[in-house]
Amino acid sequence: MISFELSEQQKQIKEMTHWFAKNEIRPIAMEADKLGKVPDEWLDNVNKMGIHLNTSSFGGGGKSERKEKKEREGNRMGVLATEEMAWGDPAITLSLPGAGLGGPPVQSSGTPEQQERFLSIFTKDKPRWGAYALTEPEAGSDASGVKTTAKKVEGGYILNGQKIFITNGGRASWVVVFATVDPSLGRAGQRAFVVEKGTPGYSCTKLVKKMGLRANETAELLFEDCFVPDENLLGGEELYEASGSKPSGFQVAMKTFDSTRPIVASMAIGIARAAYEYTLDFVRREYPKSGEMFRIASDTLAEAEQDIAAARLLTWEAAWKADQGLPNAKEAAMCKAYSGQISLDVCSKCLEILGPTGLNHHLVEKLYRDVKIFDIFEGTNQIQHLVVARRQYAPYEIRV
Amino acid sequence: MISFRPNEDEESFVDVARGLAKEKIRPVAREIEHNGKVNQKLIQEIRELGLLSLEFTENWEDLELPLISQVQIWQALAYGDLDTVQGLSDAGDAASFIRLIPDHPVLQSFKKTIVEDGAAVSFLDLEHQLFSNLNVSNEGTEYLLNGTTEPVRSAKFADYVLIGARDSGGESVLLWLDKQEYPWTAEEGDYRLGLLASGLAKMTFQNVRVSQSHVLAKGEEAEKLIKAGRTRIRILQAAKEVGLMEAALDYATEYTAGRKAFGKEIAKFQGVSFRVAEMAMETRAANHLVWEAALKADEEDESADGYSLRALYRAHRSLRFVTDSAVQLLGGHGYVQEYPVEKWMRDAQAQVALYGREKQMLTKRGEQLIKGVKEAAMS
Repeated sequence: MISFELSEQQKQIKEMTHWFAKNEIRPIAMEADKLGKVPDEWLDNVNKMGIHLNTSSFGGGGKSERKEKKEREGNRMGVLATEEMAWGDPAITLSLPGAGLGGPPVQSSGTPEQQERFLSIFTKDKPRWGAYALTEPEAGSDASGVKTTAKKVEGGYILNGQKIFITNGGRASWVVVFATVDPSLGRAGQRAFVVEKGTPGYSCTKLVKKMGLRANETAELLFEDCFVPDENLLGGEELYEASGSKPSGFQVAMKTFDSTRPIVASMAIGIARAAYEYTLDFVRREYPKSGEMFRIASDTLAEAEQDIAAARLLTWEAAWKADQGLPNAKEAAMCKAYSGQISLDVCSKCLEILGPTGLNHHLVEKLYRDVKIFDIFEGTNQIQHLVVARRQYAPYEIRV
Repeated sequence: MISFRPNEDEESFVDVARGLAKEKIRPVAREIEHNGKVNQKLIQEIRELGLLSLEFTENWEDLELPLISQVQIWQALAYGDLDTVQGLSDAGDAASFIRLIPDHPVLQSFKKTIVEDGAAVSFLDLEHQLFSNLNVSNEGTEYLLNGTTEPVRSAKFADYVLIGARDSGGESVLLWLDKQEYPWTAEEGDYRLGLLASGLAKMTFQNVRVSQSHVLAKGEEAEKLIKAGRTRIRILQAAKEVGLMEAALDYATEYTAGRKAFGKEIAKFQGVSFRVAEMAMETRAANHLVWEAALKADEEDESADGYSLRALYRAHRSLRFVTDSAVQLLGGHGYVQEYPVEKWMRDAQAQVALYGREKQMLTKRGEQLIKGVKEAAMS
């Protein structure tokens, strides 16, 4: 039955995360942006409270657990929760301890032993992070073109290469790294490794300064003759042998996107909603109650509210499909493309309504700087268009 | 629980409607447009399947389907051809008022002709007729109607007209007129843009005196009814627009997958495939806003009016984009009548003109957001 009502559990998680976002995240948002980091003490405290950004629990389509007769709703819970958290502040949300974007590949492709080893470290004693390293200086949207090499040696692999734009990459306890065992094999040569902090030859060479999301760490990582043992090859050799000539390592990366794109979309929606709500409140208090300026503001806000609602419903659909175990690549790409685009537009329109006032120590200008990256990372808007188009033309066997 | 899965009944209805749209409606759409009316055989076939009385309640011998089910069925039918769907002579937009007050004695007295004989009804929402000079004067014991409306759907073949208006005293009133008792003239016009089979005509009333026995409601009651009726109509019309968008999207996808230029299928050019992706996203976004509004209306949530404004505004905007895109992607072929997309683009623009100015809906929604629904209604 078609319904957009939240279940009891969904309502609870929405309310709980909203409370946290409002009372714990938002109050430090501007300061964290200025500092360029989330205060360590704050991270310690939230970690002790058991609050993590662990997107692997939202994983879609992967191994279904034996236990449940109950309908899975993890993906829907995930998008509801992240919208609220990002509403509080996206940079702080992305900095929360946990497996982060590294979680889904471990969850969906790791062996049970790897899942246990890498996902059980996120405990309350101290904050820890996981990370996901795909992008390279010469391989961004074309993820199949990674140049980082993985040379097979006795007992493991030697990794050489560079990764850029890695969220929480500097502080991560481990990072999922995509590398190729043979560049001539293209996608089929790709493998995913979990590289642990402190591994000789693995270093963080730089933390980049950005337009927005300044409180969240974005790292460059270097692998120089970095030995990674066989047991850190995600899924083990069997995963790649079993899939024969199929581009399995690449598929690990792509499969991850189908569950993380709705999460990223929901963050963009949370940001847009924060800007919209702030501006709506401003207009109610400060704007004339009629006349030209009022009409401009009401049209602009109506457009923003509608775009946010449409983006949210597209995102819910992608998450619902993942919960149902249905293929959702098209919907995941749609929601990511749409949300990334409209969220920037909403923030921009809100700044327009605020005028020069919005420039001075203002949440909305920060949100505007923050939100731009949501139209780029986890696949640019153009890549999402490509994914949607490919699915659209699939019945006609046309590869676009 | 958030879910996008239709129930089994809805799936069955949609299957039937989609089949009809593809096999019976689409193939004759051009002929229908040329004739300026839908043939009776097709109307009868659709009526027999129960698809023309979806809004009716159980005591009007129907299923009393919720809007969320109805929107899916109308979407599926309009996939065949929007003009044909709008030209089906039935209770039309007035059905939503029958849904709201099924037991009203005036409606009950016409029930047989509507349900059994398939009489056609036109709904005239006078407040939205900016350039109409039709006056509804409250003369105490009766209402005096004088003047001419703007073009109204179904006016050409309507047996009855339902009029929602403010009378000379500024009070809302809802009137039901039987053409035999209260004759009006439907003025043939020079319609060329689109929805040419939908019975577009101006209605002229000359000294028509309507007795109290034909008043469905007045004052606050009429105001509430008109508001609730408009909400349902907006949602149902928006659903039809989504159906047309789906048709244009599918057609353009198939065409660009087969059409070759510069040695390859034009789908392989990103200028083309990205536009198709945009069309797909826009169609889906509009679809979801329509569904959400339908669910709110089914819950009788007071926010339903605002959701319906949002849904129809967005459907209008998306419809213009998607149908124009289809023409654009077919290039010169899109512009000629051998292909359906030029007709769909024309129909789309006519539909948008008929069912509420986009900017007006947007501004109204914005007012609701800023001032709150109640205060916005008074401003």
